[in-house]
Amino acid sequence: MRVPLLSQGLSVGRRASSAAADAAGRAALAGLDALLDWRYTDEAVQRVLSSPVADRAVGHALRGPLVDAIARDLTRYAVLERVADELVADEAELERVVGSVVDSPVVQRAATQVLGSRLLDTIVERLLESEELWLMVDEIAHSPAVTDAIGQQSVGFADQVAGQVRVRSQRADAGLERVARRLLRRPR
Amino acid sequence: MYAGLVTRALAFAVDAAIVDLTGIFVGVVVGLGLSVLKTPDSVDHLLLAIGGVLFVVWTVAYFVGFWSTTGQTPGNRLMHIRVRRASEDAALRPRWAFVRLIGTGLAALPLLLGFLPMLLTDRRRGLQDMLGRSVVVHVRAGGAR
Repeated sequence: MRVPLLSQGLSVGRRASSAAADAAGRAALAGLDALLDWRYTDEAVQRVLSSPVADRAVGHALRGPLVDAIARDLTRYAVLERVADELVADEAELERVVGSVVDSPVVQRAATQVLGSRLLDTIVERLLESEELWLMVDEIAHSPAVTDAIGQQSVGFADQVAGQVRVRSQRADAGLERVARRLLRRPR
Repeated sequence: MYAGLVTRALAFAVDAAIVDLTGIFVGVVVGLGLSVLKTPDSVDHLLLAIGGVLFVVWTVAYFVGFWSTTGQTPGNRLMHIRVRRASEDAALRPRWAFVRLIGTGLAALPLLLGFLPMLLTDRRRGLQDMLGRSVVVHVRAGGAR
């Protein structure tokens, strides 16, 4: 008789504690909602973010294993590939993103700095000194595509000149005939 | 549409350049070859005569060959004109092509007066065309016009 009574008592106790936990959770959420809607919340967040505490927190986070974990997860869940797929699928969005990046003053300043830097001169000098570059240039210059293009351009130019000669000679034919007929008084 | 004097003169100039340059090139090569050999004057004269005959044969073969086959010498092709029979759209027979070549020489003899009818006749025919029963027409890149 005593065992069922004990069991019932325990069950009632568990239900009571569960109900109390639910009530506490709901109260906490209501409190959070109220906190988020509070007019000072934004200001408080801003102050926290601009405080040295935030700097130190970010520093700790970046020094710690968080970055490695993020990198692992980025790879594991193929985050970059998914983002790239989304961008490629939406061509207009891709163009907008690329355009905004290229047009941004930061990128333009960076490009100007790179172009004006000694680094670029050094790279160009090294490239010009490298034998592989000239081998590659030689290879490209002798490639069928390039020689065909040059040949076609030459033929095209010769055709253009010959075409002009033909047009002018026909005009000269007509002009000479008019003169001859006028001189000999032989109208057509 | 029939080709006029200027167009035909330009085409002929190109052909003359080809014929002459070829003749000069062959003559120079043969001359250089013979220069290392000591040949008597009589042999030189004979070779000169043979060279002259060969040049005439080459010239006749060039014009008669082209006029009686495609109707277009390289010069004609450059100027997009073609020699054809006056009566129909066909290439000249070799004998009429030969007559036309002789006619060209005859037309040039009296101070080029033989070419004057090209300026005055409706089909722009010179003496050589009348003798060779031919006309010269403009052609597109693909055919006659």
